Amino acid sequence: MKFFKGYRRSDGSIGVRNHVIVINTVGEVASLTKKVAQMVPGVIPIVHQAGQSQSLEDIEQTMNALLGTAGHANVSGALILGMGQDDTAEEIVKVLKNKGRHVHSINFNKTQSISEALREGKLWLENAKERSENEPTEMADVSELIIGLECGGSDAWSGITANPAIGAFSDSIVKDGGTSILAETTEAVGTEHILARRAVNEAVGQKFLDIVKRYEERAWAAGENIRSANPSPGNKVGGLTTLEEKSLGCIKKGGNSTLMEVIDYAQRPTEKGFIFMDTPGYDVESVAGLVAGGSQIVLFSTGKGSPTGSPIAPVIKIGTNSKLYQNMPEHIDINAGKIIDSYLSIEDIGKEIYEKVISVANGEVTSSEKHKNQEFSIWRLAETM
Amino acid sequence: MKYFFNGFRRNDGSAGTRNYVGIVSSVICSSAVVREISEKVDGTVPFVHANGCAQLGDDLKLTKNMLVGVTTNPNIHSALIVGLGCETNQVSGMLKSIPKTKPITGIGIQQLFGGENTINKGVSITKEWVEAAAKQKREKIPLSSLTIGVLAVEHDDHSLATTTSVIGQVVDELVDSQVNVIFGMSKTLEPAGDMLAERISDADEKKKLIDASKGLERLRWSDAQLGSKTFSEFTDEQLHSAKLEAKMAGKKPISSVLDFGEIPNKNGLHLMRNSSNLVESLSKMAAAGCSAVIIVSSRGVLTGSVALPCITITPETDPNSFDELVDYTIKNNGNNDYKEEIIALLQEVCSGKKTKLEELELGEFSIPHLGTTY
Repeated sequence: MKFFKGYRRSDGSIGVRNHVIVINTVGEVASLTKKVAQMVPGVIPIVHQAGQSQSLEDIEQTMNALLGTAGHANVSGALILGMGQDDTAEEIVKVLKNKGRHVHSINFNKTQSISEALREGKLWLENAKERSENEPTEMADVSELIIGLECGGSDAWSGITANPAIGAFSDSIVKDGGTSILAETTEAVGTEHILARRAVNEAVGQKFLDIVKRYEERAWAAGENIRSANPSPGNKVGGLTTLEEKSLGCIKKGGNSTLMEVIDYAQRPTEKGFIFMDTPGYDVESVAGLVAGGSQIVLFSTGKGSPTGSPIAPVIKIGTNSKLYQNMPEHIDINAGKIIDSYLSIEDIGKEIYEKVISVANGEVTSSEKHKNQEFSIWRLAETM
Repeated sequence: MKYFFNGFRRNDGSAGTRNYVGIVSSVICSSAVVREISEKVDGTVPFVHANGCAQLGDDLKLTKNMLVGVTTNPNIHSALIVGLGCETNQVSGMLKSIPKTKPITGIGIQQLFGGENTINKGVSITKEWVEAAAKQKREKIPLSSLTIGVLAVEHDDHSLATTTSVIGQVVDELVDSQVNVIFGMSKTLEPAGDMLAERISDADEKKKLIDASKGLERLRWSDAQLGSKTFSEFTDEQLHSAKLEAKMAGKKPISSVLDFGEIPNKNGLHLMRNSSNLVESLSKMAAAGCSAVIIVSSRGVLTGSVALPCITITPETDPNSFDELVDYTIKNNGNNDYKEEIIALLQEVCSGKKTKLEELELGEFSIPHLGTTY
């Protein structure tokens, strides 16, 4: 049995961090969101430009991402800033309050002045921060962990070192009763038959094939070839020649476990075990979806060296080669290049990853947390209206 | 020449109302580094956004054009572009597209082996530029050297009744004085497209407006599949409001209809297609070369642009309509010469007076999406 110390939330979930955040529902409030966060040390602002002037499918997706972020297990308290009529801030608060979560909304709707609203926000955040500092931790089993699996800035080593090692870890935690979520539908293109074969039943397998097909069709319908954005220029410099080759490396992160469920962007899995989430290959948006879906920690392999993180979840960076580790040690937590030059096995690095995951769950700060890499963006499906 | 302001002359003949050192991220992955450099060096403004990788076609082109556009903006004294290295929107490609009229340098996190090195290098480069910028003094420059944006935001028939003819007169006066004016055209103005088209001589530009009046081509995933490209017909109320709003664009001939982060190639009055997202619209105007924007709304707006001053004008309304954010109020029954007062305020702001949004340091930058990311 493996355990970690976490923060138990009123909805039953368990967090590995205890953040107080401020998040906006619409782009116009982004500046005020940052301003109010700056008033209280330690509060994390999360801003974005989604939430308005969008197609219905995007509004829905934004709402799911905001709900999943504000109600995340790593969040102790969330202040949600909105504006005007029909704003979603109050609805988000209602949903989360029903689950007993500590949330508050301020709607800039002309009933109070800006300075009054900022004062209200500051007071609430100060209380929330104090409240968070007094929250106890408790021991929890790793079966309560959801780990997101991501890659960014991939190279030809990704599919040989870091991704298979993440796969070995994924198989271990699944065996221990935990959950891992593979993502990036773009990078399933060309390999969908392999994952579909591992589905627990025909319906899950079919859903997986459907989202991959929908993905490629969405690009064709807009007159574009998905393969011209992927692999990216950096991927090619790193030795990847085609999307299929990138994909074959990408899905290695999923190990060999049975695919239990296929979920939409920012949706929380209902099953435990190995899961697939429909996200774009764009790493920041993919990580935001994985985290909104409940991942407390994200594993992120990189060959070229990508520093990005998440505002609320620790992201563990796994370098694919030792040269990268020597060049950019500040951004890499684990060097999977040792599989090539230090005679370590994929399983050895898988174990190292597992130990790191437990240690990070217990509070060890990752490189992306240390450097305040708090990038956040919600996957957009269509044009801004 | 009737109107002047005190501003910063640029090598390409344009003029700035502010003298910022810009730090531009080519992709979201370098945004934390860009923010940190900017926090460390006073006098710099960060251009961070959510785009730059895993984009295709027109969507990618718009991102690149807008970033090249803000770098070229006359309010930007010099610009540092910070990339990651492996992104689709490469720094080298941006550098090729930016005219060499001001100090521009590009650096990358992977090329410099990490964020810390990149921050140190960025701080040392921009500190030097900030010192150089501080030495540059404001000079008396004709207002006609400027491009001014006019953006109508969240108005209703009631507020339009007060603002539209006043702003129309301001726009006419600016155009008569050879100021380049970009008027934002959002969804609410589209139904008046055919009416505005009568003011355009160029057949291609005219067609763009007539098409807009039929409902813009907005490709949604589900629409694209069905081959449908237009919205349903506008209602009478939408038509009525649009015609009222169109008066805000004055009576002068329209030179062009701008899209995709285009920069106008001749002086005059231009319409720019905008989304209903305030931050994206202001960012598009900054990318098109505007040095200041007049925002006309029924209320104070909650954010401006990091690149340029935004003057907020509202009609006189009930108290608490975010008055702390409003620079100028048009009264219902006043006898003031609003046109002259607004242009005088514009000259003051262009000469360095801070707007309410600038005083509160409320400014953003963002790039619209034309499609999904991959």
